[in-house]
Amino acid sequence: MRSAGKFFASVKLAIVLFILITLASILGTLIPQGRSAAEYAARYGGLSGLFVSLQLTRLYQSFWYLALLLFFGLNTVVCTLSRFGPKWRRAFGPIAATDAQTLMTLKVKSRFRLALPAAAAKDRIAGLLRSRHYILTESGRVNGIILLARKRRTGLFGSDIVHLGLLVILIGGFISGLGGRRADVPLLEGQTADIPRAAFQVRLDKFETEYYPRGEVKDWKSTVTVLENGAPVLTRVVEVNHPLAYGGYNFYQTSYGWDWDSPRLELEVRKRADPAFSKTVALRVGERMPVDDADVDHVVVRQFIPDFVIGEGNKVQSRSQEPNNPAALVEAWKGEERVFGGWIFAKFPDFGQGHVAGQSALAFVLKKYTAAPYSVLEAAKDPGVNFIWLGCLLVMAGFFLAFYWPPREIRVVLDEVQGKVEVTAGGQAAKSRETFQSEFDRIFDSARRPA
Amino acid sequence: MTESTLFTIAFALYVGALIVYFASLFVRREKWTRNGLALAAAGLVFHTAALILRTVVSRHAPFTNMYESLSFLSWAMVLALVVFSRKSRVPRLGPYLMLIVVGLVALASSPLMPKEATPLVPALQSYWLWLHVSVTLLGEAFFAVAFISSLLYLAADTEEKKERLDALSYRAVAVGFPLFTLGGLVFGMVWAYRAWGRYWGWDPKEVWSLITWFVFALYLHTRIVMGWKGKRSAIIAIVGFLAALFTYFGVNYLLAGLHSYA
Repeated sequence: MRSAGKFFASVKLAIVLFILITLASILGTLIPQGRSAAEYAARYGGLSGLFVSLQLTRLYQSFWYLALLLFFGLNTVVCTLSRFGPKWRRAFGPIAATDAQTLMTLKVKSRFRLALPAAAAKDRIAGLLRSRHYILTESGRVNGIILLARKRRTGLFGSDIVHLGLLVILIGGFISGLGGRRADVPLLEGQTADIPRAAFQVRLDKFETEYYPRGEVKDWKSTVTVLENGAPVLTRVVEVNHPLAYGGYNFYQTSYGWDWDSPRLELEVRKRADPAFSKTVALRVGERMPVDDADVDHVVVRQFIPDFVIGEGNKVQSRSQEPNNPAALVEAWKGEERVFGGWIFAKFPDFGQGHVAGQSALAFVLKKYTAAPYSVLEAAKDPGVNFIWLGCLLVMAGFFLAFYWPPREIRVVLDEVQGKVEVTAGGQAAKSRETFQSEFDRIFDSARRPA
Repeated sequence: MTESTLFTIAFALYVGALIVYFASLFVRREKWTRNGLALAAAGLVFHTAALILRTVVSRHAPFTNMYESLSFLSWAMVLALVVFSRKSRVPRLGPYLMLIVVGLVALASSPLMPKEATPLVPALQSYWLWLHVSVTLLGEAFFAVAFISSLLYLAADTEEKKERLDALSYRAVAVGFPLFTLGGLVFGMVWAYRAWGRYWGWDPKEVWSLITWFVFALYLHTRIVMGWKGKRSAIIAIVGFLAALFTYFGVNYLLAGLHSYA
């Protein structure tokens, strides 16, 4: 136990851990994280199995990376605690035995005599030190007095507060990792969804995309109503950067799209032989829509693709959610005979009218295609997040203290010599020694001057 | 005057400062060093005006693409130079820091960098953009000061020079490290939490910020607890700046991730 304590109290361990965590983290940015097994196999070939078993493909959640972080946390705690006692005594403890000779070995020092009684000399120096916000401790000694003046004592604890903050952040991180919940909630306008493990529901009232004049997306806005027991509680607009907080959950605007599985379509039926003929039918995918005509009984759209592309293996697929190249697979029937069959393209109405189309007397134009927009909200619950903010606050406060609140200490020994008082003073400052030196000089120049 | 005119004037003044500064290295006159600083400061004034004008015209923070953030980073470096020139008594800081500044400004001005201000994508429409990017880049500018003084340390010949350079490195880290922590990590986490719903996601840019942070933490611990100074400290500060540079630059071009804006 003691040797474990020693192990974790060493700064060398901290340095080894800094380096190990850094190297491991770099490795995690070189190997893409959390991809599919197939992707790793394609990328790394025979090595991929090794990478997976060493958890390099989800490195930051791996057992060994978390173990490194845990060691780092323990190391921080033990290092901080083992140095805390002496620091505390330095800041708040009583005066250690001090003599004039030791003070004269310091870099910042002064020695002079005052023709005053010891008590008066002490009061004068104490007053000067207090006026510069020093806090004094006094102790008597044979034929003299020792004064210990300290200021900005909290500055000594800057690094401890940083370490505490880091620890709180680490704890928060583990709490988030263990207790965090997140789920995507896709919602069509008007749809209501249950939130897992929560006693309320959310309804999407409206979803809209705003554009800049030149066409770039400006914002996605989901108007959301929270329902408890079926009754609306509040309505908010959720945007990127403006989540909705309710019942311990945050709702983020994360994605959007259109329900292209059931679009509303409009087809215009034409005849090659009769340019004057035009008939428009509104229909949905899979729906047999009668056309009251001698040449065609009914039409049906077998499939709709918003952004048509022929992918690998000659498969028809959609390149994106955007209706960049809308296409419909249309069939037309006359009794038992298929009189038209093929893809038609909204943006290329003249483009190949399908296999059967060559011989078909009919032609089709995809005139309208609309789908209900949906919005994807992410429902997230993160019980660790407040630890993170508290930890950040501590870290920054600690930095301030460590870098910009340097403690200063002045010790003064007053000895009665031949009816006069010999004053010996020495000072120490952790940082900005030049400013300290000038402060010190001012104090003792004033003390030396006759009143 | 347009933003690009102001920017060009600032660029010209920086180049002037660079020339005068380098002249000062050879003639070894304090006057030349002062003139170099004066030119750099004049450039800073025009550069500031350019940034303000761009903000007013584009109506968003002037660091949403590579051109803008390069411009802001070089601005921050000149600011750091002006801050540190008075006290540091390191006449060589100016010439070499201005070399980096002129390099960055030249890169920003190159035709490879699209300069037109584009409207903000939804993810960037937040006041955290201001806080996160400006404070981070300011921190990185001070890392650049530490980088230059550390390089100079490695090349320095006398003990007196070395001591000054070592102290300057430390002072620059003492400013840069808290700023980088606040802007890059703390504000970054707060913004990520608001925009993406998680404060930390092991995105490559996040990880590289953490790596940079660890390198400077190493710098401080080896220095304060183990008493490393001088050469070893200088090398860690150099590595730290390179890590910061990679976080800023390399991650965008070499690693894929969410931070694909600038």
